[in-house]
Order: sequence, then C-alpha cells, then structure tokens
Amino acid sequence: MGIKVVKRHGNTLKEKLYLPAIFGGMKTTLSHFITNLSDKPHISTILYPEEQPHDISERYRGVHRLTKRDDESVRCVACFMCATACPAECIFIEAEERTDGVDEKMPKRFDIDLLECVFCGACVEACPCDAIRMDSGIFSFIGKKREDFVLTKEQLLANKEKKQ
Amino acid sequence: MSTLSVFVVILNVILALLFSLGLAPILVWVERRVAGLIQDRLGPNRCHIKGIRLGGLVQSLADMLKLVFKEDFQAKAIQENFCFSLAPVIVFVSAFLSFMVIPFADDLIINGERFIMQGLPTDLGILWFLALAGLSVYGIMLGGWASRSKYSLLGAMRAGAQVISYEAAMGLSVVSLLITYGSIHLGDIVAYQGELLFGFIPAWGIIVQPIAAIIFIVTAFAEANRTPFDLAEGESEIVGGYHTEYSAMRFGLFFVGEYVAMSASSALIVTLFLGGYHLPYLNTQTLQTTMPYVLGFIILTLPLGSFYAMRWIKKHNRWYLKSDVRNTESAVLQKGLIGLNILVIAGLGALLYLGLTPTSTNVATAVIQVLTFAAKLFLMNFVFVWVRWTLPRFRYDQLQTLGWKVLMPLAIANIVISAIIIVVKGL
Ligand code: SF4
Ligand code: SF4
Repeated sequence: MGIKVVKRHGNTLKEKLYLPAIFGGMKTTLSHFITNLSDKPHISTILYPEEQPHDISERYRGVHRLTKRDDESVRCVACFMCATACPAECIFIEAEERTDGVDEKMPKRFDIDLLECVFCGACVEACPCDAIRMDSGIFSFIGKKREDFVLTKEQLLANKEKKQ
Repeated sequence: MSTLSVFVVILNVILALLFSLGLAPILVWVERRVAGLIQDRLGPNRCHIKGIRLGGLVQSLADMLKLVFKEDFQAKAIQENFCFSLAPVIVFVSAFLSFMVIPFADDLIINGERFIMQGLPTDLGILWFLALAGLSVYGIMLGGWASRSKYSLLGAMRAGAQVISYEAAMGLSVVSLLITYGSIHLGDIVAYQGELLFGFIPAWGIIVQPIAAIIFIVTAFAEANRTPFDLAEGESEIVGGYHTEYSAMRFGLFFVGEYVAMSASSALIVTLFLGGYHLPYLNTQTLQTTMPYVLGFIILTLPLGSFYAMRWIKKHNRWYLKSDVRNTESAVLQKGLIGLNILVIAGLGALLYLGLTPTSTNVATAVIQVLTFAAKLFLMNFVFVWVRWTLPRFRYDQLQTLGWKVLMPLAIANIVISAIIIVVKGL
C-alpha cells in the first residue's frame, strides 16, 4: 500500500495573509444580510406559537397512539413485544384476560412515560398487530407535573391519526 | 464660566453618555438582529409596548430589566468579595471613560468663546484612550481570579496574554500615526484629515496610513475582546470564561462594558482613520461657507429618504395575525416620521429664511458634524458585528503568532517607513 500525502491548506502567501479570505467571507454574509433586508428575504422562520409548523410529514414520529379494531375495541393483545423492544424501558403494560371473545388477552393498563421515551419508534416496529403507532403528528406535549407525562391507555386510545 | 459654557459642557457630557451608554442597548439589538439576518433567521422581533416594536429594539429594554431584577447569585467559595464586585466596575468604567476624549465635532465657537466638543475637555487624546483601554483587562483578570473557578481563571489568563501581545502592536501602530499627524490631540488629528491629499482624495488616515489602519483595526478587535479574538470566553472550552461565575447586574456590567468598549474602539477608529466628524470633501471651513447649500440639500433629501423608509416599513413591518396590536405600529411610525420631517424642514427653512449668522452657522456645523460622527460610529460598530458573525474564533497559538510575529514587526517597519517619508518630505 502506498502512502497518500494529503495536501495541507493554508500555506500559500494569500492564505497566510488572512485578509482576502476574511473579505470573501464578509462578502457572503453581507449578501445574506442584504437579501434578507430586501423584498425577497430567504428567511423561513415561522412565528411558532401562532403559526404552526407545516412540514410535519406522514412519517413524523409524534406522540404514540393505540389503534383500534373495526369494532372500535383496542387492538393490542398485551404481548409485551413493544415493552421488550423499548430501549428506554418506558412502556408499562398490565395484561388481563379478554372476555368479549374477540381475542384472548388485552392490556388492563398501558402506560408510556413520555419523559423517558426517546421517540425512536422501536415499539412501533416491534408490534406484531399494528396496535401502536406514532402517526398522531403531536410534536409538542405540555404538562404541569411529571405525572402528566405518563400517558394512560385511555389517552393513547383517544389520540387520533394526523390527517394529511 | 458663563451659563453658555456650562450648557455646552453639559451637552458634551450628555453626548458622550449617549454615544457610549445609550448606544449599548442599541448595539445589543443590532448584534442580535444582524446575526439573525446574516444567518437567515429573524432575530428578536416579538417584544412590544402597546404594539410598538421598533424592529425588536424593545427586547433590549426587557433584557435590561431582567438583568436588573435577577437574583445576584454568588458562590460560597468566592471569598474575595471586594475584588469580585470591583472587577465588573473596572471593566465598565474604563470602557466608559475611554470614550471621553473622542471629539464629536470641530471646536465650537459661540460669541468668541471656544469649546472643545468632547466629553472631557483635555488634550490627552490618544494617550488617554490607550491608558484606559489597557486598564479594562485588569478588571477581567481580577474577576477571573476572584471567581475561584478554573474556567474563569483560564479565561482571564487568555485575556491577559492576548491584551498584552496586542497592546504592543497597537501602541506601535499608533506611533506611526503620531509621526504622520504630528499631534496626540484627537481634534488636531481630525483637522488634519479634513484636508485633501494631492487635491482630490480626502486625507483620511486609512489612505495616508493603510498599514497602520489595518494593524490598529485588528488590534482593536482584540482589545475589545470581539470575535475573532474572543478567546477569553470560548464557550466550547471554558464556558463563559472570566464571567462564568457572575450573574445579574454584575454580569450585566461586564456585558454592557463589552459593548461600550466596542463602541469606544469604533469611535477611535473613526477618529483616527475615517476622517472623524468630517463629511468627505467638506471640512469645517468648506462646510461653513457652503452651509446654505448643505441645508437646502438636507431639506430636499430628508422627505425623499423618509418616503422610501416608510415604504419599506409598510411592506415589512407586519405581524402574522391581522388583528394583532403589533400591526398598528406602522401608522405610529409614519406619524413620527412625518412629524420629524415637518419639524426639521420648518426649522431649517426658518434658519435659511432669516439668514445665517456666524453663531447659527457654527451651531449648524456642529450639529451636522455630530450627526456625521454618529453615522460613522454606527457603521463601524456594524462592521464589528458583521465580522463577529462571519469569522470563527482564532486558535490560541494562531492568535499569539499573529500578534507577535506578524503585527508587531509590521508595525515597527511601518514606523520606520513613515519616519523616513516624513523626514524626506520635510527636507
Ligand atoms: S418510541 Fe422508543 S423509547 Fe418511546 S416507547 Fe417506543 S420504543 Fe420506547
Ligand atoms: S402494543 Fe403491540 S407489541 Fe405492544 S403489547 Fe400491544 S400488541 Fe404487543
């Protein structure tokens, strides 16, 4: 194997003088400044609380939701696959027997602690029944106490899919 | 002392206060807005008093209020209470005092009395500035040491080493200037720059002494602790540097002091190299003889300028929600601008109509020169801000190499060359 000599920059006189490069950079920044002061600014900042972001895509991982079957009952079968896959260990499931004959098992409790969740989406990948999804499009979740951030089964079921 | 002289002295002090302290919140605003626009962001633009935002300037007031009312926290480990509190005061006071010898206008002559238009009526000029600008680093070092924090100490050490190495080059570049101008009094230096070189170029310092200008401007950046030489507060390595342990108004003094120092450096650069209070091609005598034309020119251009400013404001000063109170601002600004126009035009018109006496010419000259100086000062401050948002920070060894191995020999060579030229010309 031959040795590749990487050329070092910054040794010519022009580069050592610093000033040409500095003026070049100043030209760039000034051009940005002037375009942004002129009639067609390049600024894409939105005035956030009043203006909501408009680039939340279909695949955006927002707050979770539990999906439902056609008869509006919970789809989850409490198999614990998501809780096992979760790297943050923030899914807490308590299973119970399902008596309405649709299936054998369902969650009695299904809590997700959003303060611990890293929004990785591993739970969604792991679920064999497509029972948990993160397509609610909710990107900002507000609570006043720590407890507010633990979403219960009812809250998760109430979250709707974001309409595109 | 007559009442008039008292009045002029007070006016000068107020002007000095305005240019140094009054400019600080404006500079903070300029810094944040310019940074935003350069980086394709908006910068602070929400804060408003009954809808008046002034392009976000109100945010500076809110920030100052916040600094005043914040808890002044001091770590238990800090035992040198006196030094700890004294440090920001030194930084602030020395920055503030160094502004006091900058002439805002040519000497004002009213009824045969001569007034020097600067904060302190002294001839010390540039020596005063060099002395006080060097003093501010003591505040930084004292603060860094008294903080009992490694970050602070490292920041203070860097600042100390940097200022020592750059002060040498700065002093030497000033020597070559003094050889050229033949005076340390800044008023004389500006008067020299009012002349024309070869009959057609203004003899501004930047043209007469370009190398000294470059060295001085570079060292002024280092002296004011501004990027690219703001190693004293390298966030990535030493947190806030020397002011890590400070909070509330003690931090506020450091913060404001930095901007006042920057403004003072700009003022000195303007005075030494950019013709001071002179408009190009109009030195004091020419300005006084052509005063009617100058006033006429102002009367004509002011409404035109205001018209374009208003158009720009109407187009861009909008808020997202139509019903928001911030949308009423444009109308208020429009009224203000129209009022200003009427006031200025009526005043100048009356002055021209009644005929110019020597006193009114002198006063008008002074006002125009103060405004010119303010405009140049503002531009130079803008350059400081502009450079900050363009350049990354220097590495510490690069900084020292540049200071000792490049700027210093260059400054010495420049002294020799200027001296030879002056002697040859004088022969
Ligand atoms: S998104 Fe990731 S961290 Fe959050 S609950 Fe699902 S698996 Fe756990
Ligand atoms: S959400 Fe899916 S993976 Fe998790 S327990 Fe229910 S069915 Fe199993």
